[in-house]
Amino acid sequence: MRDRTRKAQLVADFFTQSYRISGSLNVSSRKLADRLEDRTSSFIQLENTYISNIEHPADIVASHATSILRKEKIIAVVVSREEDGLSRKYTYGSYLGAHVQRTYLIVPGFEIQGYLRTSGKRDPRSMLASGDRFLPILDAEMKFSVRPDIAFTGGVILVNRGHIEALWQEEESRNG
Amino acid sequence: MARILIIDDDPDLLEMIKLLIERRRGHEAVLSADGESGVQKALEQPPDLAIVDVMMPGMTGYDVCRRLREAPETASIPILVLTARGQPVDREAALQAGADEHMAKPVTMTDLMEKIDGMLAEHSAAARPHTIAMASLKGGVGVTTLAANAAATLSRAGARAICLVDLCPSSGHLALHFGHRPRPDWSKLMREDVIDAQAVDALLLEVSAGLHLLASPIVPPVERALRRPTVKALLEILEERFDLVIVDTPSILNEATTTVLDLSSDTWLIVTADPAAVQTTFGTVRALGERAKGFPVILNEVTSTQRTSPDAIERVLKRPLAGTVPFDPDQAKALAQGKPLALHRPDAPLAKAMEELTNELI
Repeated sequence: MRDRTRKAQLVADFFTQSYRISGSLNVSSRKLADRLEDRTSSFIQLENTYISNIEHPADIVASHATSILRKEKIIAVVVSREEDGLSRKYTYGSYLGAHVQRTYLIVPGFEIQGYLRTSGKRDPRSMLASGDRFLPILDAEMKFSVRPDIAFTGGVILVNRGHIEALWQEEESRNG
Repeated sequence: MARILIIDDDPDLLEMIKLLIERRRGHEAVLSADGESGVQKALEQPPDLAIVDVMMPGMTGYDVCRRLREAPETASIPILVLTARGQPVDREAALQAGADEHMAKPVTMTDLMEKIDGMLAEHSAAARPHTIAMASLKGGVGVTTLAANAAATLSRAGARAICLVDLCPSSGHLALHFGHRPRPDWSKLMREDVIDAQAVDALLLEVSAGLHLLASPIVPPVERALRRPTVKALLEILEERFDLVIVDTPSILNEATTTVLDLSSDTWLIVTADPAAVQTTFGTVRALGERAKGFPVILNEVTSTQRTSPDAIERVLKRPLAGTVPFDPDQAKALAQGKPLALHRPDAPLAKAMEELTNELI
């Protein structure tokens, strides 16, 4: 109760290009980000899923006990608390978390802004070309491009690097 | 102790909240694992508060909120939506469905308990009986007519036990609006050092179903006046017995009037569209200062021609009019017959305006 709605269960919002899928997954053995990065599986399984069309993101149009999502089709995952969304390597005294930079992204259907952790000044092209499949954008907001009044916020938004169409970073940075 | 209904498909969460509210606050927890049975439990015995999850199989939390709001038994219970869907759009959807508050999971026990405490306190304050004063320091602006018709409107709606109090010491007119002689009246109270519920009860007239009236003496009392302790005790007794007390206050800032204004939850200032009434209302607001800040001002059109426009009144008073009661040629006849329009001619312009005003302000 203190930290999660259910012991070892995490509820998050998964966004595809047209749908918002809210579902829970067991994170007792592996964190969400680590499951997304697991290259041995192309899918992620969610329990108790509730589905909304992105144009009406609060209206639940369907619910299913289990849903299988194809990882490559996930645009982004919104997680309310930063610590629930980050990979273990970012959370336990990692040097990678020492520096954060204001970042803006465009992915199909959405504009995302927040902070990206880096180990220092890093060429954005290298971030887009290699590394984890999902970039963790901290303290983030994601707006629906055609309806900017529809916005989603999270302690972290995990953005599928393969869907990033454009990226900007501001010189101004803050200590993480 | 409050009775709190928790509807969530997560059994762990149900147990945690149950422990929290029972052990820390001594409330009674009623648990339901799905929307349908939760609604049934709420209808069978309406709780003091409902905590509702959104993502549940079958009926969603939004459906639960709508069902609870549709049923008269549960239409006014406070509803807290507690959900992992915690985005601004979700909050908006919850409020539109009828929830009073929205909280995103995960939530700390402290935050949840604070929210529950706050909602219960707010609901308890809203459910408490209260007093509305109708006031103008200028006579002849129709305060008594509006007090009678406001009470009649609410009485006709049938939802509340209402008491009208005529504190004007010089007429007994409020009773006449209902075709009653103003007997007995409150003059006896001026002779009592201590007044009790029995003494007040003996003075009340039932002027229509569910609507009682405490009349003022038809002959003005000489060398005596209602003092603050008497008025205070009177209002406390009436608030215990009735859901709503409406006071027709004297058109003078005497001890009785200021006591009522101090103790009322709301005060309606009545103004007519003529310079003298506007000037008096302006002076009243100035005299009362901060106390009058939230008082709604009602324009009562007592004649078919208005000498001052609503815009001009708003400019002078530096506040918008909360409502307008149009001139109704049938009002004079209604008074002569002792049949308030709001009770006997609900389609009359005055009655309709009172219905809108009471819906808006009470």
